Amino acid sequence: MPRTPIERVAGVTLAVVAALVALFLIAPLLAILPLSVSDGQFLVYPIRGFSLRWFETFFASERWALAIRNSFAIGATAASIATVLGTLAAIGLARANFRGKKFVTAVLLSPLIVPIVIYAVGLYFFFARMGLTQTYTGIVLAHAALGSPFVVVTVGAALANFDHTLMRAASGLGASPLVAFRRVMLPIVLPGVLTGALFAFAASFDEVVTVIFLAAPQQRTIPREMFSGIRENISPVIAAASVVMIVTAVLLVATVEWLRRRSLRARQQAG
Amino acid sequence: MGGAELSAAASGAGAGGAVVPPAGPGRNLVRDHARAERRRRLQAIGLVAPLFLFLLFSFVGPIADMLRRSVYDMDLAGVWPRTAAAMHAWDGNGLPPDSAFAALGADIRASAEAGRVAVAAQRLNYPISGGRSLVMNMARRVEADDFKPPADWRAAFLDADPAWGSAETWSAIRRASGPVTDYFLLNALDLHKDAAGHISRAPDGIFLSILWRTFSISGVVTLFALLLGYPLAYVMTHSSGRVAAVLTLFVLLPFWTSLLVRTAAWIVLLQDQGIINKALMAIGLIDHPVRLMFNRVGVVIAMVHVLLPFMVLPLAAVMRGIRPETVRAARSLGAHPWTAFRRIYVPQTMPGVGAGVLLVFISAIGYYITPALVGGADDQMLSYFIAFYTNETVNWGLAAALAVVLLAATAVLAAIYARVVASRGGLVT
Amino acid sequence: MVDIVSFDKVSKSYDGRAYVVRDLDLSIAQGEFLTLLGPSGSGKTTTLMMLAGFEVPTSGEIYLDGKPLSRRPPHERDIGMVFQNYALFPHLSVAENLAFPLEVRHRPRAEIRQRVEAALEMVRLPQVGARKPAQLSGGQQQRVALARALVFEPRLVLMDEPLGALDKQLRDHMQYEIRALHDRLGVTVVYVTHDQSEALTMSNRIAVFAGGRVRQLAAPDVLYETPSDLFVATFVGESNVFAGTVAARDDTVARVALADGTAMAATAMDAGAAGAAAAVVVRPEKLLLGPLAETCENRFTGQVADVVYHGDHLRVRLAAFGRDDIIGRMPTGGPALPAIGASLAFGFDRAAARAYDPAHGAG
Repeated sequence: MPRTPIERVAGVTLAVVAALVALFLIAPLLAILPLSVSDGQFLVYPIRGFSLRWFETFFASERWALAIRNSFAIGATAASIATVLGTLAAIGLARANFRGKKFVTAVLLSPLIVPIVIYAVGLYFFFARMGLTQTYTGIVLAHAALGSPFVVVTVGAALANFDHTLMRAASGLGASPLVAFRRVMLPIVLPGVLTGALFAFAASFDEVVTVIFLAAPQQRTIPREMFSGIRENISPVIAAASVVMIVTAVLLVATVEWLRRRSLRARQQAG
Repeated sequence: MGGAELSAAASGAGAGGAVVPPAGPGRNLVRDHARAERRRRLQAIGLVAPLFLFLLFSFVGPIADMLRRSVYDMDLAGVWPRTAAAMHAWDGNGLPPDSAFAALGADIRASAEAGRVAVAAQRLNYPISGGRSLVMNMARRVEADDFKPPADWRAAFLDADPAWGSAETWSAIRRASGPVTDYFLLNALDLHKDAAGHISRAPDGIFLSILWRTFSISGVVTLFALLLGYPLAYVMTHSSGRVAAVLTLFVLLPFWTSLLVRTAAWIVLLQDQGIINKALMAIGLIDHPVRLMFNRVGVVIAMVHVLLPFMVLPLAAVMRGIRPETVRAARSLGAHPWTAFRRIYVPQTMPGVGAGVLLVFISAIGYYITPALVGGADDQMLSYFIAFYTNETVNWGLAAALAVVLLAATAVLAAIYARVVASRGGLVT
Repeated sequence: MVDIVSFDKVSKSYDGRAYVVRDLDLSIAQGEFLTLLGPSGSGKTTTLMMLAGFEVPTSGEIYLDGKPLSRRPPHERDIGMVFQNYALFPHLSVAENLAFPLEVRHRPRAEIRQRVEAALEMVRLPQVGARKPAQLSGGQQQRVALARALVFEPRLVLMDEPLGALDKQLRDHMQYEIRALHDRLGVTVVYVTHDQSEALTMSNRIAVFAGGRVRQLAAPDVLYETPSDLFVATFVGESNVFAGTVAARDDTVARVALADGTAMAATAMDAGAAGAAAAVVVRPEKLLLGPLAETCENRFTGQVADVVYHGDHLRVRLAAFGRDDIIGRMPTGGPALPAIGASLAFGFDRAAARAYDPAHGAG
């Protein structure tokens, strides 16, 4: 298209602005990485010498090692519960209309929007009466609740694209409903299920407020220790922890992207 | 499939009986269809139920339990049952009868001996300034070893403190005597109810200004997220494969990275000895570090960073759906490029703008961690005060009332969001 | 005829190597209905986009009213365009869509309202002004797009396969309506299609595109009756093509020998000298059958392979010269249907057959 001078200026400006915004998004993550190998005592530049001592602290100290184990164990357990319950619920929501479906859907999705402090304070009172504060069970239940809507949404999206004549075809070919579900529907919506599971895991892995209110020292997670660390004595071990968290995030992004492409390809082949 | 099974089962049941009713095939089909439908519905409910019940227990329950505390008020009635009963019997005009003074005297004595008087004293300290010492002084008197229950409790109270003769004191006691109170909710909105039941602005209220602060920080954050997010989403959507992929990665990576990591990263950048200050000093723009943390600037920067992906992703999703021919058509119809963008492109992105703005704003008003770590005392938002009144001053009724305010604001915005998004079909865009 | 647009040696290449349009010279007369016809990838749409201003020629120049156009942005060209999928603005009502080109030209409010009404009247949709495009049927959207391209009285209206998304019946109807609008308004129309029958029924002139060039530019009847090369002959209308070798030719007549030795006389077009390969093209309706063939200059006998009844005519497939795909037409109501397998005489006159150079057959 013949472009007017204004258009050319606008195009260049737009590209520059977008680049700056992208930089704004990524720069903090890049800024914190080098500090993890600093030999200094503080989380500041310039870096004084190269050292892996903060990684040593992070992986070897009992406190951080416990936090790492807790984060992964709680995240995996909570994500499993959220995935099973969320997948069933998404299939149910896609299966038929029933009275009160809108309300039920709103309840199922409400953990996405309720301010986390309100939930944490509520848990603090409610679980105290059942002896669930300061237990793994309490935190896992809370994180499963927070992660479940992600599963409902991603599996729901996968089901919305699912061609339901395939299920008729399967039953026409002699498959029982259960077999048709296992052999036809589940494999096709599996990327959605796994994506939801990863979202649920990330939600737990990142969550700190309910842990602040519910956890005893032996249930502290990485974000909880980072929260204390930032408040109390901010040292490069925070950067070392950040490196581990960022690497986890990269793995999660890559997996989700891979799953997305796979299901997209599958859909294109089917279509 | 379900229909066939069901009709087989139905005729089997009929054959087992004495008479097989001669039913026309049409009627059977209709009935079978209705049964199949019912069965599907039951299956659907059965599949949804586990998560629904799970959330009822582990999510809705705790929140409802907490919100209940904003209106359910048994602190005083639990400790002083006789007083509560006397207050319920009293009409609230002027001063209560002597029997009420006697009931309170007996209750104070009993609760002091049980070591629970402080609970009631604390509760009265919310509406009456000096309420705690008023009660505790009286408790010390009646607890004394040489104390004998007087015949005239009214005189004994007035002797201890003339404040016991004030209508304000007694109306506060009456309104605190449960089981339901509007005190905390009014308090959370800086409202005050006097002895006559008139509601007025509380002179020393702080919560409306905190509510305003919460909304204004969220508004500023949302505005910046839109200003930064729109061009990024535009370039992301309309550039070639590789550029788009890199930009998408730059949006998704922070999105998936822990909030704590991103907050820590901003501390590295913003602190007095941080990269930004050092860089500014190195190029000679400033000679002292500029305060970028523990103030509003730091909170807004960090929150915009955290929430920007929630703006960019819905915007990009909507922009991807806009047909480029519409802009071409505008150009061929004589629209200047800027006019075509403003009148044809931008209006078509409004659903994305609406979704992004609401999503960012809803998330922002509930923020706690980021302001707590990079903000100063004047930058704390509603969530902070809910936590504060829960943990520090243990005024749970007020914490719950603030939660009601925050949750109501969130629910209204979420309902609008659901409308905006439903008009485009789908929660995740 | 006054030319409103002329292309002067216009070429377009996206990668600097392959040309999408090559050395295009094309003049468009004031008030005519010109169709750019060709298979996909032939360069017709690119030509249209260069005229509209959405593509820039790599070389050459386009003139509008004698003034060079290439550097002028689309919105300053005053050229209306109907897009393939209409490109109606989904967020604006029909009336707002129509008002748009007038508003950006800062016309007075009253005039806008009156012209929008008139335009809706013109496409016979007076009631839909308040609706959104999505609430209209495909045919209605098509008419709104048409009205929007015309409402600001542009010098020129471009249409990019505007009927492609409609079903056949609606398409036939819209062809008629567009034609009627053109006749009534006298506006110059440049129309892109790959549908040769659409091109034949609608146009004053047709430019047949192939391989980035115009192969022939002519009125529909001329194009159909005297295609200038083998590509045009086979792309426009149905044809029997007999491949052979030139036995002899002079300025007007070529004698061609088929592989089995059959000889036929044809009007010489771009066929080469004696010994060169040649293709003789005969339209099915010019291939006369049975007794009608007796007076023909080229006369043969074949076997009836198939007969299909088409109402107003019979379509007869014949086997001869070692092939069985020779198509002829026969009026219905004759004495009897030819029996399959029966021998049938067929033939054509020299004037009805044309000898081409087969090298110019491909797009």
